[in-house]
Amino acid sequence: MYDSFSKAGVQHSEAHHLPIEFTGSGSEYFRMWIVNLLLMFVTLGIYYPWAKVRRLRYFHANTLVGGEPMGFHADPKKMLKGYFLVGVLFALYSAAGNFSALTGFLAFVIVAAIWPALLKSSMQFRLANTSWRGLRFHFKGSVGGAYRAVVPLFVPSLVILAAVVGVDDANKPPVWYFASLGVVVLVTLAVFPWLLWNLKQYQHNHYALPSLQTTFKATLGSFYKLFLKALGVLLLPIGPVAALSMGVVLLGNSTFFFNATSRSAISPAMALTFLFAGFAAVATALVIARPYFTARLQNLVWTRTGNVSLRFISDLRFSSLLWLIIKNWLLVILTFGLYWPFAAVAVARMRLEAITVKTRVDPDTLVSQMRAVEGEAAGDVAGDLFGLDIGL
Amino acid sequence: MDLTATAHVSKGLAASYFDGVTARAQAATLRLVAGDLILTGEGFERCVCASDVQWPERTRYGLRVAHFADGGSVQCADAALWDAWRQYSGQSDSWVVKAQQSWRSVLVSLLLLALLGTAVYQWGLPWAARALVAATPQSVDSSLGQASLSAIDESLMQPSELPLDEQARLSAAFARALAAQPVGTVPVWQLVFRKSRIGPNAFALPGGTMVMTDEMVTLVGADDKVITAVFAHELGHVRHRHGLRMLVQATVIAGVSSVVLGDFSTLQAGVPLLLGQASYSRDAEKEADAEAVRILQAAGISPGVMVTLFEKLAAENKPAASDRKDSVDSTAQSSWLGIAFASHPSDADRIAYFKQAARDFQEKS
Repeated sequence: MYDSFSKAGVQHSEAHHLPIEFTGSGSEYFRMWIVNLLLMFVTLGIYYPWAKVRRLRYFHANTLVGGEPMGFHADPKKMLKGYFLVGVLFALYSAAGNFSALTGFLAFVIVAAIWPALLKSSMQFRLANTSWRGLRFHFKGSVGGAYRAVVPLFVPSLVILAAVVGVDDANKPPVWYFASLGVVVLVTLAVFPWLLWNLKQYQHNHYALPSLQTTFKATLGSFYKLFLKALGVLLLPIGPVAALSMGVVLLGNSTFFFNATSRSAISPAMALTFLFAGFAAVATALVIARPYFTARLQNLVWTRTGNVSLRFISDLRFSSLLWLIIKNWLLVILTFGLYWPFAAVAVARMRLEAITVKTRVDPDTLVSQMRAVEGEAAGDVAGDLFGLDIGL
Repeated sequence: MDLTATAHVSKGLAASYFDGVTARAQAATLRLVAGDLILTGEGFERCVCASDVQWPERTRYGLRVAHFADGGSVQCADAALWDAWRQYSGQSDSWVVKAQQSWRSVLVSLLLLALLGTAVYQWGLPWAARALVAATPQSVDSSLGQASLSAIDESLMQPSELPLDEQARLSAAFARALAAQPVGTVPVWQLVFRKSRIGPNAFALPGGTMVMTDEMVTLVGADDKVITAVFAHELGHVRHRHGLRMLVQATVIAGVSSVVLGDFSTLQAGVPLLLGQASYSRDAEKEADAEAVRILQAAGISPGVMVTLFEKLAAENKPAASDRKDSVDSTAQSSWLGIAFASHPSDADRIAYFKQAARDFQEKS
């Protein structure tokens, strides 16, 4: 299967640099977005798969790798079926939690149990419908691999299970029962980098065009290091904001701080202050920490993806992304959301153009052996609803 | 159409062809003849039914790529030439593409969206939520109410310290007031008293459980008329099944705002939810106030008792805000920002409403 490449590799051993260029335009996407929103509105959402395919086709067609555009081919009708299926599942899932803790828990277990399978079929569907130079991509990951990737999640689940089993009288839980909730949160946070590393490994070890498969070489340690740094960046702005808002509240009026006789413990003015302080803290964290994490994760993941004859280099700078995100937020707020498509295009441009493909195989010599297995469209829609975004 | 372009494309369009097997581009000439797309190049000729081709949508910028079902594709960097060729060959854009290409139709779409959005928010969604709730069995309300009560009991409430006979007296007073209601119009209800950490308050849960805090009873001096009035308001929430309706409306708003803003940010999607819910909540309070007035009038109690309640609540809040020049409530709620976030109409509006109802009541009796 590989011999066509090894031969090609020997013949063309000099490196080819394939820069990525994004030619999408904000105004073009704005027009698409508005018209598609209207169509979704009047069709009560049934138009959604068509709008999504149009958006993905536009973004793919404007992503030029080495001067040649990517292609996206999914059939909206196929996606609509999956959309109904997963939509019903999602509605049941959302509703279940409202009835009792037990039904909510059951729904959660069911969704958690099928989530890896959905991830696999979502990846398969997305890649089989993506092409470059007339060749379809493949996703070679297996269902078993997807389940193995989510193994870290069993650790907090075991803590929960132990806590539930360990309680004799559910009506009078001992003190450690509540402490164990804290432990669950901590353990979940602690295994999260491991989980993400597993998932990225699962994805980036199995991309193939057509038989040129990528491997993922980032280490688990590098993921933990990234998370620690991101945590530092997250706490940096939240600390001062929290201190400042507390100061404002205390200075402003210390007497109505938790006044026991007032109608409610928190007066409207204070609630507003808290609301804005909380909003400011979260917004600052999102505006600063999120771009940091996005930029560093993209660089780590893609620069460590490749094989003997192919590698990616991602050089996305945090400072550039930070300024772009700040500008986007300001303009989105000032335009009541109308700037959103421009922002989406600008972010896509910056993130895509930061990547270069370096290959020792002349792209002209790639040959397809077989058609990709398409997988289930349901998986792709599940990706939208249950938060398994493939990302870049 | 540009004449030179027509002359150019009348003999076919020069494009690059990828055959779907090798990644090498081959020069090809494209022609559309009788519903077939014919590709000719050095050493090959291919014919594909034009309706099986995934044609690119016309855009102002970027190149044009058409995909074939077997994975092959043809592309042309000169978008203007491609469009001229398509037009020359008698193919036209779909109306969606035409709409996307014209700023005028985009502007019209934007206006339509704004109008439709407002209409749906104002009438459509409340109407649909009402219909959906009407079709939902009452048992859903009850189980929802039970789940919320146990959640609230865990976090905010302690058992009531009111004597049982006092609780019974207040319940009996409310039951007497309801006796004047036509048979079959009163939903199932149950009164629950709790000592709380949230101060004087009362609220209704879906399914008919109404909770009043001991602090509320103390605040109004255990006046059974005022307590009845408060319960009548809460019964309005139960009768109109506001709890379930709010749930439906919140779910829809959250869903729509996340679709509109894509996966851009959950925070931004949360803002419309917060603002949208507040307005629905104020409407629900108005509905419950109207119900309270109806019940009180039928029971021969002046709706004016509600005014006493508001005055007592305001008096409770006064000392808290006395160091400032004005009451916190009135400054916070009279600003537009306060109104946007407030879940209840302003106290002044509600007092005026009940005063008017009390005057009407006096004129009648």
